[in-house]
Amino acid sequence: MIYPVIWLLMSSFKPSEQIFQTAGSLIPTDWIWTNYSQGWEGIGGHSFGVFIKNSLVLVVLATIGAVASSALIAFGFARLKFFGSTFWFGVMMVTLMLPHDVTLVPQYIMFSKIGWLNSIKPIVIPAYFGAPFFIFLMIQFIRTIPQELDEAATIDGCGKFRLFYRIILPLIAPALATAAIFSFYWRWEDLINPVLYLNKPSMYPVSMALKMYLDADTLSNWGAMFAMSIVSLVPVVAVFFAFQKHIVEGISTSGLK
Amino acid sequence: MKKMASLLLAMSLTFSLAACGGNNNSSESSNSGEGSTNTQTNAGTNVKEEDAKPVTLRMAWWGSQPRHDYTLKVIEMYEKEHPNVKIESEYANFDDYWKKLAPQAAANELPDIVQMDISYLAQYGQKGQLEDLTPYLNNGIDTSNISENSISGGKLGDKIYGFNIGVNTMNFQYDPELLKKLGVDKPSDDWTWEDYFALASKAKEAGLYFDGGMRPEVFFGYYLRSKGAHLYNADGTALGYEDDQMFVDFFKPLANLVKEGDTPPPDVKAQIKGLEDDMLVKNKQVGIWQWTNQFVAIQQVANRSLEMAHMPGPGRNEGLYLKPSMYFSISKNSENKEEAAKFIDFWVNNVEANKLIKGDRGVPVNTQVAEGIKSTLDPAQVQVFDYVTWAQENSSPMDPPDPVGTAEIIKLFAGLAEQMDFQKLSAEDAAKQFRKEANAILAKNKQ
Amino acid sequence: MRAAWKNHLTGYAFISPFVIGFLAFILIPAGASLYLSFTSYDLFTTPRWIGLDNYKEMFFQDSKYWQSLKVTLIYVFLGVPLRLAFALLIAMLLNTASKAVGIYRTVYYLPSIIGGSVAVSIMWRNIYGDEGIINLLLNTLGLDSIRWFAEPFAALWMLISLSVWQFGSSMLIFLAGLKNIPNELYEAANVDGAGPVRRFFGITLPMLTPIILFNTILQTIGAFMTFTPAYIISKGEGGPLDGTLLYSLYLFRQGFVYFDMGYASAMAWMMLIIVSIFTAILFATSKFWVHYESKGD
Repeated sequence: MIYPVIWLLMSSFKPSEQIFQTAGSLIPTDWIWTNYSQGWEGIGGHSFGVFIKNSLVLVVLATIGAVASSALIAFGFARLKFFGSTFWFGVMMVTLMLPHDVTLVPQYIMFSKIGWLNSIKPIVIPAYFGAPFFIFLMIQFIRTIPQELDEAATIDGCGKFRLFYRIILPLIAPALATAAIFSFYWRWEDLINPVLYLNKPSMYPVSMALKMYLDADTLSNWGAMFAMSIVSLVPVVAVFFAFQKHIVEGISTSGLK
Repeated sequence: MKKMASLLLAMSLTFSLAACGGNNNSSESSNSGEGSTNTQTNAGTNVKEEDAKPVTLRMAWWGSQPRHDYTLKVIEMYEKEHPNVKIESEYANFDDYWKKLAPQAAANELPDIVQMDISYLAQYGQKGQLEDLTPYLNNGIDTSNISENSISGGKLGDKIYGFNIGVNTMNFQYDPELLKKLGVDKPSDDWTWEDYFALASKAKEAGLYFDGGMRPEVFFGYYLRSKGAHLYNADGTALGYEDDQMFVDFFKPLANLVKEGDTPPPDVKAQIKGLEDDMLVKNKQVGIWQWTNQFVAIQQVANRSLEMAHMPGPGRNEGLYLKPSMYFSISKNSENKEEAAKFIDFWVNNVEANKLIKGDRGVPVNTQVAEGIKSTLDPAQVQVFDYVTWAQENSSPMDPPDPVGTAEIIKLFAGLAEQMDFQKLSAEDAAKQFRKEANAILAKNKQ
Repeated sequence: MRAAWKNHLTGYAFISPFVIGFLAFILIPAGASLYLSFTSYDLFTTPRWIGLDNYKEMFFQDSKYWQSLKVTLIYVFLGVPLRLAFALLIAMLLNTASKAVGIYRTVYYLPSIIGGSVAVSIMWRNIYGDEGIINLLLNTLGLDSIRWFAEPFAALWMLISLSVWQFGSSMLIFLAGLKNIPNELYEAANVDGAGPVRRFFGITLPMLTPIILFNTILQTIGAFMTFTPAYIISKGEGGPLDGTLLYSLYLFRQGFVYFDMGYASAMAWMMLIIVSIFTAILFATSKFWVHYESKGD
């Protein structure tokens, strides 16, 4: 299961030219740290720390936006009856099915017209308008919550927003945690959007920086790439570890009062 | 609940405003800041430049770390000499580079200076994305030490869409020690295709592969030229050879080498992950057919001395040509075309800059520059420079750069070659299929 | 009457971020791509209206199109069920584990985290390589090695196995779903004297059906759009012999390598139709097998 991870870790201590030749044997013959020091120096005078910082800013902003707005929208779809809800739900599902490749150029032109190029705006701002994947996920979770609960709360004089905020939101904590984990990781590894919208190497996130160690034409710095891959896994694993706890503390522990 | 929604909206708006302000500020301040200090330190050294208005150029290229590093140094050097010019660099690896460039072109947002590859030149040039450089020759870009031949390497029709910044040629790069196992010290200078097939067929017995195969469009193109034909016709609207027998003569023996185990089958090649993993590097293959600029890297990774042998004949002088390894183009949407041209001039003609570049983008087209930097080069680089110098005297002018649709033809060709190598398709059938489908693709260029 | 209006407004207030975002960021590009699917568009010059030509070429002339559709359907129909079954199994196991669950979960999720990275591609090529672990295993069992990179179906299997191995995200969703089942239900069942099998079929499975529906739909959509792994294993060539030429890979090639964005757009909209048919079928049958605690829809 985790053999690749170990392989990755071990490779990060091998000299570039040995990585493939000794792919069969896991343990490096002599351990070297230079991959880490070289890799951390980064590219074009920007240390790898800069790329990590860029990624963190991008990912944290987008994740907050996507999770918060999706929860709100999901509640609307799952619990409220209003004219056109099926239509909008359908629209949402369809947006999931259209390959990004063909909307990419029109979208790029659109963002260029409003002057958003070369900034993180085209990546971060749309996240605040809900992510269909998470919306659908949360809808399904809200639907597993007995409706009697709402009715009881409504009788207690709870408004819809307070119902959402006080009752539903805590109950779908596992879904929120799941969404946060996914959002974090997907944004972290997202390559196409940064490639399109970020021009300055000083703004590049980790996903782009990692690819800069490699080039099909010329020499690649595999060792540094592997070493920095390991470094870039740390935040993702940390976030996973922190949030997965909330999956445990779902409804079964917080309980129905 | 409405409040929440509007709160979210307000939040996102604030972010956009904040990001907006932050951006503008930083770019402005850095601009004016560096501009003013530079002007002061350089006052007097270059009076003419001092009055010039500040210019910001965007420049884009692909490559890996060493290339990024020296290119940034060259840019720094240029900015010192031209304090009014600030160059913003945008670099990525080859794959990401083209993903980025296409939408930029669609939105008229291309950088001022764009590194171009021969396979994309027609697409970007003939579709109105690149400036014709003819007016800038000797009027911005000094071409007094650059041959007509080199310049026309970027010519499509009567327009020059890319300035050739370095040349390559093709040959056979091999390990002499491994070749000795086949009972030969070196391929003779005037070896023929028959000699090659005969020699290669001994590889399996020696427990080796002879070579890693030939990229069909490149080497079949050479073969056709050596027979007086061409892969594409002059205006790129159809194939440039009539006789399918030539196709069969070329590909049949190659597929046979694969069948006999003298060259690796496609699935073995698919498992190679990088240069470090190459069969030649791992002492399992005698040599590689490829471009001369790739010699330095393979030599470096193999870490033993390799040699170069000529292409097989007959008709080598007619077949061989110097290919632009890369171009610098100026985008049509650039607002500073003259300044961009000046930078290209600096790149190709400045000896000091080229001491940093070291022929990484191909052997310099300026003959004096090539001569001037030779003393600073590694042995492998000198080998490449010498080979290209030899080829200058022993080759013929290149065909026009690849026509629009080449990318599709390359894929088509690679697919057919794969089927031939897997012995799933005869060379005769492949020849027919190639003619039919390639002509259909090229016919689109007729309008 | 006024109360009804208020309900509609409340509903829209909640979903307004999506509606606004859709109108602002998605509608125009999506509409543009639909329009482009009826044009010949090379990205750099003005699109030229050609009616249904792209679609006609797709259906009647382009054998590669059909190849890519075939490959993708095999990938989806083998990959998705396997991945989901695997994910559910592990999620149930993890759900019963009491010690060090966090560690276990992380371990099982790790493959998905290093998902698209170069490391995985290299790894996978090593595992299935001529001298890789899998062939070694086959040999010790007295079987012949398989040339995974030579046979189109074997190569596709490499992709499918990669997708099954990266079951982490489905697993996590299942896990969250399992945690969301109220303990009271199990307690009540225990009082009734129900065994583990009856508890699974009587409580766990029905309560989990909304999540199963979700996972099935999303995984199907995701599988149809798979792109990166094919890039990783065959360097974007879709080889051998187009055996791993996934739909998205071919679409990308048409749009960004051949600069035929009109055709790529037509392919995208065709894909949308195909995927939405599958989704619609899943939704339509969901009435019969998905159990919602709340009746609201």
